[in-house]
Amino acid sequence: MLTPVEMTGPLDAAAQAHLLVLVGQTRDRQAFAQLFKHFAPRLKAFHLRANVSDTAAEELAQETMLLLWRKADSFDPTRAGVATWVFTITRNLRIDHARRQRGIVPQDWAEEDTSPSAEVLSLEAERAERMRCALAGLSAEQRRVIELSFFTETPHAGIATMLNLPLGTVKSRIRLALARLRDLLGTES
Amino acid sequence: MSIQHHPNDDTLLRFSTGGLNAGLTLVTQAHMHICTQCRDRVAAFEAVGGALLDEQPAAALAPAAFAQVLSRLDERPAAAPAPRAPRQANLHLAPDTALPSVLAACDIGRWLWFGKGIRYSPVRLPWAPEANVMLLRVAANCAVYPHTHAEHELTLILRGGYSDCTGQYGPGDMAEADADILHQPHADDEGCLCLAALEGTMRLDGWLGKWQRRLGPYLGLY
Repeated sequence: MLTPVEMTGPLDAAAQAHLLVLVGQTRDRQAFAQLFKHFAPRLKAFHLRANVSDTAAEELAQETMLLLWRKADSFDPTRAGVATWVFTITRNLRIDHARRQRGIVPQDWAEEDTSPSAEVLSLEAERAERMRCALAGLSAEQRRVIELSFFTETPHAGIATMLNLPLGTVKSRIRLALARLRDLLGTES
Repeated sequence: MSIQHHPNDDTLLRFSTGGLNAGLTLVTQAHMHICTQCRDRVAAFEAVGGALLDEQPAAALAPAAFAQVLSRLDERPAAAPAPRAPRQANLHLAPDTALPSVLAACDIGRWLWFGKGIRYSPVRLPWAPEANVMLLRVAANCAVYPHTHAEHELTLILRGGYSDCTGQYGPGDMAEADADILHQPHADDEGCLCLAALEGTMRLDGWLGKWQRRLGPYLGLY
């Protein structure tokens, strides 16, 4: 019987990529178990912060891990970090989940081609670490609006209500935070 | 194609978080297909999402979560129901005009009259029937009636071009407008074909606006 308890501490980006490539190439269940141990609880936390029910967050976390297993062979470590790749899977599942609740057949995401350009690809491997540093470089206020953008599906007006701030303030704060992230990442617009 | 106008950072951020509505998402995707710069910006925002996910504190899973997922690994994915073939009217476009590939699964209606020199064709997204999306065709040198928007409008130029108080737009350009902008797009010599999506409704200025508010619900403008 496999158990997802084989390691100590969180997985770094390189270890995540190594494990996911193993899953993709050899259907390695032990590698999957380690990825599950790392990502499933974080996925659930991520969705819980978006104010979905515990049941829905659990389901989204499990479904995301199942898709990770099924799609692992399409993961290309030179194109995106694992966490980013997992984030896009779970984001699309959340959109589908919301649509299904309204009785609508979800869209086929496979047709979407949003792969970044060649210049960005070479940077992807190190991007996760740089992004972490850049996020740490935001002010608490800036970080809060960026987080709310990811954790809530409400547009800026909803964030404004939540923070009890004028809409214009929220918009400019998001704009400043994005500009600061770009500075910290050393990319130009 | 040299693209001069892009969606702004707010829009691309909301696209990346999944918070943009389906219509605006569709138009943004159509732009991204031809714009590497915006694909890169979205990739950067998605990496923010990845970093936030990665640093979440672990939440407690259901005790059987891992076993449940493990037992499903060999399951064959449920076959998605075959999508109904989209109903697409013949829009009599010039032979060298291809519609964006993101429209492949959408219903596309025939051209409807929307004022002098202006036709629109409603686009229906099967996965978001409520989305307010349309193709818009403006004849050479014709102008759209001045209007503002309740919330947010994205317009992608597919062919030809237009200008308004915010600048000149050509193929591949994305025009963005909201309640703060009262604009009157004026098509150039070639006319203009665009793909537009609205969040909220378009508000016509002046006396036409009064008629719009009265008749809009019957004309399907809302």
